[in-house]
Amino acid sequence: MKRRLFLKNTLATGAAVVAANAGLLTPTSVLADWNKAAFSAKTTDEALNGAFGSANATESGDIKLKAPAIAENGAVTPVTVDASAIDGVESIAILASKNPQPLVCQYNFGAAAEGYVSTRIKMGETMNVIAVVKAGGKLLKAQQEVKVTIGGCGG
Amino acid sequence: MTIKIRMRGKSKNGIAEVKALIKHPMESGVRMNKKTGKPYPAKFIDTLEVLVNDAKAVDAEWSGAVSANPYMAVKVKANAGDNVTVNLTDNTGETGSETITLK
Repeated sequence: MKRRLFLKNTLATGAAVVAANAGLLTPTSVLADWNKAAFSAKTTDEALNGAFGSANATESGDIKLKAPAIAENGAVTPVTVDASAIDGVESIAILASKNPQPLVCQYNFGAAAEGYVSTRIKMGETMNVIAVVKAGGKLLKAQQEVKVTIGGCGG
Repeated sequence: MTIKIRMRGKSKNGIAEVKALIKHPMESGVRMNKKTGKPYPAKFIDTLEVLVNDAKAVDAEWSGAVSANPYMAVKVKANAGDNVTVNLTDNTGETGSETITLK
């Protein structure tokens, strides 16, 4: 079933996905360039490779990841990542480990921003929420399991 | 049609937490329409930026896994009276923009 879904989606987005897979996609848009390779990745490691060029993140206690232990409704799981204790935060990504496409969102920060993000994400089942923070060229991460009682993907 | 954004922000000790509520279906393109057996077409916000006095502070990329009617909060270095703007675009090219003056 999942395979069939994947094929359908691939066909739907057509040439763009092919281009992204082949690494041919060059960024052109005015706003941030949407990273198709990272967002269409099927595993957290692939997603991290696409987003940061490396999947090698070390656990850090300086990242405060706030997510519920039990989410009654997986379609709206509040997640807060506070990395303001770390100097020079360049980027924060939030991943849901078992979602079909694990990368949920990625934020890049300029000098006028603090390393802090709060949002709500969809989670299909019980899984880990992973926050990956890039600071000073290093990748740091924190993760937490969220138990989902009702799935967030139309189930 | 433009995307509606509601924003609020307050500065304290030079740091402002800016909160935004966006009205958007955030359809991932994976969810099935059980009647037709086909997935609902994807429609989600994919890029978003936060500006402080017209200078970029944060830019973000989202997937369809951000909840419908997204809520977002970020912290920026800004004082009361500064203007904060959120610009966003979805994968179908629809855009939204909202500017507030910090309290």
